[in-house]
Amino acid sequence: MNLEIVCAGIGGRGVLLASTIIIEAAVRAGFHAMASDEYGMSQRGGSVVSLVKIGASQSPLIGRENADILLAFEESEFYRNLVFLKKGGLAIVNTAREVLPERINNLLVERNNKCFLIAADDIAKEKGMIQASNMAILGFFSYFGIGPYNRESLLETLKERTKGKFLEKNVDVFQAGFRRAEDKVIVVQEKKMEDSLW
Amino acid sequence: MVKVSPEVMIGNFAIARGLVEAGLELAAAYPGTPSSEILPGVVEFNRREKGNIHAEWSTNERCAMEVAFGAALSGRKAVCMMKQVGLNVAFPPLLRGRGKRLEGALVIVCCDDPGPQSSQTEQDTRLLCALFDIPVFDPASPKEAGDIAYYALEYSSRRKTPVIIRSTHRVSHAREAIELYKPGTRKVRLEEGLKLKGGRKLGIVTAGMSHAITMDVVSELGLSNQVSLYKVVQVFPLRERFKVFVESVDHIVVVEETDSTLEMLMGNGNKVFGRANGYVPGAGELTYDVVRGIVERIAEEIGIGKKAFAPDLHIEEALQGVTIPPRPPKLCAGCSHRASFHAMSYAYPEAIFPGDIGCYTLGIAQGAVDTCIDMGGGVTLAAGFYDTFSQDSNVIPILASVGDSTFFHACLPPLYDAVQKRKKFTLVILDNSTTAMTGMQPTPQSGVTADGTHGNSLKIEDVVKGFGVEFLRVLDPYDLSLMMHTLKDAQAYLAGKDSAPAVIIARRVCLLSGKGKDHQFLESIDLEEDCTGCKTCITGFGCPALSFDEEKKKVKIDDALCIKCGICLYVCPRNEKGKSLSMFKGKRTPKRPAQN
Repeated sequence: MNLEIVCAGIGGRGVLLASTIIIEAAVRAGFHAMASDEYGMSQRGGSVVSLVKIGASQSPLIGRENADILLAFEESEFYRNLVFLKKGGLAIVNTAREVLPERINNLLVERNNKCFLIAADDIAKEKGMIQASNMAILGFFSYFGIGPYNRESLLETLKERTKGKFLEKNVDVFQAGFRRAEDKVIVVQEKKMEDSLW
Repeated sequence: MVKVSPEVMIGNFAIARGLVEAGLELAAAYPGTPSSEILPGVVEFNRREKGNIHAEWSTNERCAMEVAFGAALSGRKAVCMMKQVGLNVAFPPLLRGRGKRLEGALVIVCCDDPGPQSSQTEQDTRLLCALFDIPVFDPASPKEAGDIAYYALEYSSRRKTPVIIRSTHRVSHAREAIELYKPGTRKVRLEEGLKLKGGRKLGIVTAGMSHAITMDVVSELGLSNQVSLYKVVQVFPLRERFKVFVESVDHIVVVEETDSTLEMLMGNGNKVFGRANGYVPGAGELTYDVVRGIVERIAEEIGIGKKAFAPDLHIEEALQGVTIPPRPPKLCAGCSHRASFHAMSYAYPEAIFPGDIGCYTLGIAQGAVDTCIDMGGGVTLAAGFYDTFSQDSNVIPILASVGDSTFFHACLPPLYDAVQKRKKFTLVILDNSTTAMTGMQPTPQSGVTADGTHGNSLKIEDVVKGFGVEFLRVLDPYDLSLMMHTLKDAQAYLAGKDSAPAVIIARRVCLLSGKGKDHQFLESIDLEEDCTGCKTCITGFGCPALSFDEEKKKVKIDDALCIKCGICLYVCPRNEKGKSLSMFKGKRTPKRPAQN
């Protein structure tokens, strides 16, 4: 299987840790995987994009409208990287919004994208670690069980990658993200019966 | 071959692993993106293998190359690492040394920056190798970079000549699972040659990361059976097989970064699609989309494929309604450089600000950096500006800035030169006790060695004093009032007769380094309370934690980024702290007449 994943966010907020877990979980499951990171000159606060490709491809770079999955750790970076998302691809966006602007929503429906909004910052804040919003996104993502990614595989890799006091908090936020997906996806699926929104 | 289970690592660590397995004995480097992680990788794998490799951070690239050269001449297997513009600094030993017969081995790992993403210029190291007859390898992936590192050290040892590994940021910073072998047991064969056999109509020549991307693009476009593709690894000297391939096809497209090295070396005029005839962009990175565009266009022109990819422009249309904040490179929230630059441009808005290369180049956003030529260039440019103005009897304040690592790297002869000739300018040395932009490597002042142990420390102020600088102050730039006061004192000193440059060392440990994290800051920032929405703090100060809330018409603080240093309160014209500095506020005036 081939899978192309774009992780986008801003520096200092854990995009690279998230993509590290994504590539390592794939390698642990026996896939060939590559990642490419772009973080520019800012040490903190700049745009960060990490591309992960799994499968037979030779380069870690992703073309326009080729990504299967777009994980946006910050809302504006979702818009900036939306051109990567292919028709029918999945997007998960960290935002406090309930709905996206209408034109964007229409575009996503037109392109048959599945897009989920999750207030990852709030989830992380509730758990007392605002920097861990990346884990809420990963937890949410793990719910879908795409390719080598499920709750168990990502948690196991997370446990290898983080140590000490951070691990416990990270796992906490991850689990909260997963539960949010349970609630939200079920709601959306019920809604789908009615108006086939996604 | 004895294998250990694979490990996901970046290309630079893979290179380090290959070198350590090949029996490396000495490594020296100056940090520079995208090469900076190779030396720490050498230290790490040496530790794991309980080896005896000497690894050191050099003061600059020339030192790194000469130390490695010395070792190679006396029988050691040595390596030096740098970024592409760092090779310019190491040119003297490279050009003279390339012809020397080595007793040991010398590999130079030079990482290029197509784009450029983190440099002033793109520069193709392979072009220099071809010009000056130095063997060069161009790996296409982290895994291949590791293999080539192993191969290159053996190659250099066998042929008694220096060789260069040219990586690029997409290889150095890509991550992949890398097999580890017991030292001395890796078997490497260069993966050069024919990778696709699809007839003679279109031949594609690739090298480096452009090879990997082109393979993916050709596969996406369904052209794998219709093109022949030759991958070059050894760019110089070119292999006979490559020349045979070039002869064997009707048309050729060359997909390579950064410049037209292969294109130039292969000749063959009319049948080549490349940079010379505009098929490949002359500058910038060859991204996936760029390569897809190149291959599609040529495939269509020679009739082997149709345009398969059409961008869905609805995406751009839908995005028109959304504001995406631009994110130009910025200093971190709470960075002490921002405080220094604020003081400089607040007190002397009319000054000339020669700048330098590092995090603090970003002071350009605060109007406190006017030039950025090369490392150390700011100091000597300041001297040149002073001479020009004084010839015209103009007195314009000149405030140069440089970081601590760059000071040692390139500013010693320039400063000595300026002192000796009594050039009147202020040099602010922004000392955050680390090489921050490239990832926190130690400086000669920190005295920390490559493996983290403590060594000899050299104080900046001792060097400055030794040169005979009379006006020298060391201060904490968070104390904005003192900083501005001192800048005024420096200017008063420079107005005197026979004065040499004034030097201010603005010292505060980088927030990102271990020591910088211990500081106690304010409980809360009350900037939002009396905010009138004038945006002075956002436009002039540019802290990434500050943004403008369009609904409330007030400034908004991002709690996740703000470290509560409180410097923005001094920037706010409404805040008491801001008002307290108004006595230092300089005026932007046209060129002033001569003063005596």
